[in-house]
Order: sequence, then C-alpha cells, then structure tokens
Amino acid sequence: MEKILIVDDAEINRELLTEMLGGDYNILEASNGKEALTVLQDIGPEISLVLLDMVMPEMDGLELLEIMGKNGMLTDIPVIMISADDSQETTHRAYELGVTEFIRRPYDSLVVRRRCQNIISLYSKQKKLVGLFADQFYEREKNSRLLIDILAHIVEFRNNECATHVINVQSYSEILLKEIVNQTDKYGLTEKDCMLIASVSALHDIGKISIPDEVLNKPGRLTDEEFKIMKSHSAVGSQMLADLPFHREEPLVKLAYSITRWHHERWDGRGYPDGLAGDDIPIAAQVVSLADVYDALTAERCYKKAFSHETAIEMILKGECGQFNPLLLKCLEIRSEEMRLVKEGGTQNIKGEDDIKEFARELLKNDALYASDRLLHLLEYEKMKNRFFEGITGGCSFEYNAESKLLTFSKKSADVLGISETIVDPVHDDSLISVFGQEVLKEMSSMFRAGTPQNPITQLYLHQVITLGSGNGSPTQSFRITSSPDIKHNYPENMKCSTYRLICRSTWTLEAPQRFTGVIGKLVPSETDYGIMKGVDILDIEGLL
Amino acid sequence: MTLRDFYNKTGSNYDGVLSLMGGSERIVDKFVRKFPNDKSAVQLFEAFENKDYETAFRMAHTLKGVCLNLGFDRLRESASELTEALRNTVADNAPELLETVRRDYDEIICALKELDDV
Repeated sequence: MEKILIVDDAEINRELLTEMLGGDYNILEASNGKEALTVLQDIGPEISLVLLDMVMPEMDGLELLEIMGKNGMLTDIPVIMISADDSQETTHRAYELGVTEFIRRPYDSLVVRRRCQNIISLYSKQKKLVGLFADQFYEREKNSRLLIDILAHIVEFRNNECATHVINVQSYSEILLKEIVNQTDKYGLTEKDCMLIASVSALHDIGKISIPDEVLNKPGRLTDEEFKIMKSHSAVGSQMLADLPFHREEPLVKLAYSITRWHHERWDGRGYPDGLAGDDIPIAAQVVSLADVYDALTAERCYKKAFSHETAIEMILKGECGQFNPLLLKCLEIRSEEMRLVKEGGTQNIKGEDDIKEFARELLKNDALYASDRLLHLLEYEKMKNRFFEGITGGCSFEYNAESKLLTFSKKSADVLGISETIVDPVHDDSLISVFGQEVLKEMSSMFRAGTPQNPITQLYLHQVITLGSGNGSPTQSFRITSSPDIKHNYPENMKCSTYRLICRSTWTLEAPQRFTGVIGKLVPSETDYGIMKGVDILDIEGLL
Repeated sequence: MTLRDFYNKTGSNYDGVLSLMGGSERIVDKFVRKFPNDKSAVQLFEAFENKDYETAFRMAHTLKGVCLNLGFDRLRESASELTEALRNTVADNAPELLETVRRDYDEIICALKELDDV
C-alpha cells in the first residue's frame, strides 16, 4: 500500500484528509515540519506523497520544503501543499522550492483523492522508467563488454600469454585514468570516456592475430627481422579496424584505432609505428601503453620471469621501458599501491557490476533522471555509518531477520568468534550451539522476542565461565545468562568468569498490527566484573575491542 | 436539532460542506462532532491572554483553516479577520476581534450540545 505522510498541526484536519483519502493508502501523520522530517529521514524512500500544511509551529511548511529540496528528497517524493488564502508570494515561493501541487482549503474530497492518485501514479511511473532504463543499460553494457572480452581473449589464447593480460590492462588503465582525472582536466575525460577507454583497451593487441606462431611464441630473444615482424602488430591491428566495412565512424572504433595503433609510441618520439611524441599520442593510447608495460613486466612470459611490483615501478620510472608522460608517471606513483593490489588479487571479475552501476548512475545524474540515485546513496551512507560506528565502538554486533531467519554478524565479529558471517536458523545452528550451548541459545532467542513495539529494547548478561583443566588438560568454557550484571559467584581457584552485556532492539513493521521483523544487537563487555583471562584461547571476545 | 438546523443557526454553510464531502452526511456529522476536540480556539484565547501574539496568530490561522473545511462560515470570517489583525504586528482592534471569535466559537459549541443523536 502506498504511504502518504500528512503534515498539519490541527489533528482534525489530518483526520479529515485521512477520511477523504479512504482506505486506499497507509497514512502517516506529523503535526509539524520537524516531526515530518524525522519520519522522512527514517523511511523517506517508502513514502509516496507528502501533504503539507503551510503554517505550523516548530518548523513550517516552507522550511520543511527547503530542507527536503537540499537533501534531494524532492526528486522522488512529491509534495502537495495545502493552502487557504495564502498570499501569491508564498505560493510562488513554494513553487520555487519545488512543491509539486497545491490543494486549496476547504478540501473537496473528490479533488483531494484524484490529485493524490494522479501524482502518485505519475511519480511511480517515472521511478519505474528510471529503473527500466538502468536495467536495460546495464544489460547492454554487459553484452558489449562480453563481446569485446571474447574477441580479445581469442587473440590472447593464440599468444599463450598470461590469460589475465587483457583483464589486467583494463584494470590498470582504469586506475590510471581515475588519477588523471583527479590531476588535470586538460584531457577533458568524462566518466563515460574512461569506461570506454578501459573496455576498448582489450583490443590493443588484436594485430597479433597476423603474427606467425613461431615469432609470437618464440622463447628467448627475437632476431632483428623477427622483432620487426612483431612490431608490425600495432599498424596491422589498426589497419584491420580502418578497413572495417562498417562502423568506422563510431567513437568506439575510432578509439580502438588509436589505442591499437599507438600503444607502443613513447613520449620522446622513440616508439613505433609513427614515432609520435608528447601529447600527439592520444591520451587513451598513452594510458594503455603504460598499463601494458606494467603488466608485461610483472607477469611471466615465455622469454622472461615476472618482476616484482617494486622492481617494475622502478624500471618504468627510470625509463627502462621507454619514456612516458611525466604526468602519467606521477599517476602511477600515486596509485602504485592500488596497482599492486590488483596484480596480487588476480582480477577475475572483469568489471564489477558495481562499476557499471556507478557509471549508469553517473549517466542518470547527467540526464537529470536520478530518482533512484538518492535511494542508493542513502543505502551507501547507512552502510558507511554502520561500519564507522562499529569501527570506533568495538563490540560484537549482529542483526537478525525474522522473516528469513537469517542472523548476520559484522565481518570482524564473525572472524573473532570463528563462525560464519551469516547463519540461517541460528537456534538450530551447530556452530552456534557448539560455542554457546543449546540452553543459552534458546534463552537468547526468547529474549529477542521479549521486546514489544512500545518497549523494543531488552538486555541481559552473558557470563563466560572458563574452567582450567587440571594438569595439562585444556581449559573448557560454558555460558550462563542472567538478567542482572552482579551475580557474585564464588568461583573455585580454577574458574574465571567474564561478563558481557547483550543489548537488543527488536524491530517491527510500521503497519498495524505490528509484526516482529527482527533484532539488531550488540555484545559489549559489562562495566562490572570485566576481566577476561589472558592466554585462554577459547573464545576471544576481548579481541573484538 | 438536525445537522442542517445546526448549520443555519451558527451561520454556517451546510450545502457547501455537504458537497465538499462528496454528499456524505455521515462524514459531515462525524467531523462536526470532533470540532470541540480541536484545541486551536482554546490555545488562541490562552496565547492572546499571555500576550504571545505569535502563537495567537498561528492558532487563529489554524482555526480559520479548520472552519474552512467544516463550512463554519461565520467563525471562519471572524477568525480570518483576527488572523490578519495579528499578522506581523498587533492591530489596535485585535481585542475586539478576539471577542467576536470567542462569541462565534461559543455559539457553535453550545449549538453542538443540542444536536440530535444519530
């Protein structure tokens, strides 16, 4: 059901609007701009329409509208302003701030209903279109990349070079391009250009298809004659593209031509085939050229061993592989660590879906169609926020989704506890049972459900009791749960206890009747009786802190 | 007293409000009976007494809006005049206008008690 937020300081007016809208919507209410903002920040993306009064205490309609505009909320949340005899000036101001429509008092039930319906359907159509566009775009992009990659791999396959050469050159080119954009705008590179260069880079060696096997795969040094043949691949490759019977004017083909032809040119003019120098060499070819050299150095070839990352960088900077654009070398130095990570990581993922989405988003932004962009942005922001807080507060945090019965630990917590990040049906999960024991797990689970929508937060204390083995016997542990922190047990000499506070907040659906949807929670050392035994390597909860 | 009698007695517009509510007498009746729950009038009198004219302005404005929705023309008119008298500065005749609002408001509250049960 579509959600409508009604913001008006008079309860009777909110009730009247609710009555007029009938049972077709899920109605949320706020009595001033501030309350409305809280709701919007909480569940903004779920709201299909805001009905907004003008004059209100705390924060009035225009102020809220202004904030919504600044936060980008107005892009996908339409706002209908309710007005009586407000001045022309106010009306104009509201339109300037991005209000979608007006409803005049007194409310006419038919007009209220129809206007809300129309605006909601208009916006949802627009959102669908944006989604459709992004999907289509993604699909198309994926396919064309796939074709380029297949083609490039056919060349590589014959060449017996490391199969990842094409992929690596793509990744390195992309890294370098990103830094160039940071450093200068003299090449006028857009996000779109960079994506295109990186994908087309896969074609840089297609000319090698014409090089005879015995030259291409000869171990050891090439003779002068053979080297000449080898060097012909850039001119031959570009000629193949120039001879295409179709698509010659396509930007992709033109770009492929310059990369293929000039990726062995050098900044000082001592490269081949045309001896171009400086920025006469297109920036795309310069970038691919450097990426190609770095990969050639750090990979094993039939005629050489692999150099380390550090050696490769040093050789390039010293000009041992020919001269490069000083700006490009600067970019290489800045992004050196990233290059090393890609090299060591073995980039199986040709192009993360993330990158393509990023690009699609960029496009959408430029075309002013960024309705779903804000949603993604919000999500990313939330994730970042969580990671940040987790990073500084420590402790072991988790989330439980009642519908999917999925328990999720933060990565750090999972690592320390020695369990996996996601656990299905935790009460019956063997790894959890082996850590905490069946009884304790059951108690935790019932505690999860003890919260109510009015009183969602519950807490209890988890005691970790460690018993040292006699002689060389290894220590054992058990857990107990209590509702208060200060149970003072007199433990014998060979037992130690550490207490942790387990704080949970249950989550509920917004619609009545409110259903239990899950729990978020955190395990932190209790302020009281905090002292975990050192050197007992059973469950190092302390390692989380 | 029927709903229509109530409207006539308080200088309100029954046919107008009925048409706005899509012809539903039930809805008109429901919201007219809710009117005493609305605190804007009481808060207006309070704020005025405390010389808090900013709140008084806002409450007069809210009262006007509620009256517009319910078709209480007479009270809406006096609330509207008071709203203008309190906008930005406090006009000299504001206290008299407040008394008019009080009179029209009390008239509605009294008449409501005589309304037939449905």
